[in-house]
Amino acid sequence: MSRRDAAPGPIKKRRTTLTLPADSLLKAERIARAKKVNLSAVISEALSEGLRAHAAAERSEEVLNAYRKAFAGFTHEEAAILDGIILEPAPRH
Amino acid sequence: MVDPASGPFLFDTSAESWLARTRQAEVLSWMRAYLSRHQVQVSAITVLERVRGYSLLWRRTGEERRQGIEAARVAYLNALGPVWPVDGAIAVVAGEIMSLLPDPPTQPQRSHHLAESRQERLTRWRFDQLIAATALVARMPLIHNNAADFEAVRSAIERSPERFPGLGPLELMRCSSLI
Repeated sequence: MSRRDAAPGPIKKRRTTLTLPADSLLKAERIARAKKVNLSAVISEALSEGLRAHAAAERSEEVLNAYRKAFAGFTHEEAAILDGIILEPAPRH
Repeated sequence: MVDPASGPFLFDTSAESWLARTRQAEVLSWMRAYLSRHQVQVSAITVLERVRGYSLLWRRTGEERRQGIEAARVAYLNALGPVWPVDGAIAVVAGEIMSLLPDPPTQPQRSHHLAESRQERLTRWRFDQLIAATALVARMPLIHNNAADFEAVRSAIERSPERFPGLGPLELMRCSSLI
């Protein structure tokens, strides 16, 4: 088996000290007791969820900004052309 | 109101730009909520219509605006999410729709001294039929800002379900009904 095919190893962990709001910590402890897991697991899951939401919000802003640039500064007629409505000078009768 | 979490949705050409141009705070919130869960999915036909539009504007304009138009085109291509190709299944469904509805349901568009030719109107109608076929095959609701064309397609499919076995109905959502 090549190195690229190898199964991912265990997630690396680091010990740190955080100062957290007391009420959040209390809620996390309650969840840990209810789920019968340790406090680190609950905090880790909540952090991952928060980071996922943050990344999604960042992606969403990037797309919206790109869209704004893509459609800004065009007249009504030009915007129609960008939408596939090809307007030409009307023939005179 | 349409729940953004209930996506993903297919965005018609007119819907994609309407949502990109809007300044309504509620619509922007809806788009943010949608984009945090899903991507904007479009048909290859939408990309074709859009790139053709940028290219026509680039050709019609003077040198001083060309850089801006090119920057807008690049920004559009950077914003693109998944693009649905026109494959065999979509071609079959689009062929059925085109046979049921050969003519566009509305007249060519006009704006001041400008007008859409009959040939261009027919082309746009065919493109809309291909986009509707994509939504049907992808089994995704279609967000649009062009009720006249897409409601006509939806009604025709409902009247001839035997020509669309296992597919339909075409689920439509107007931009204005998202919030």
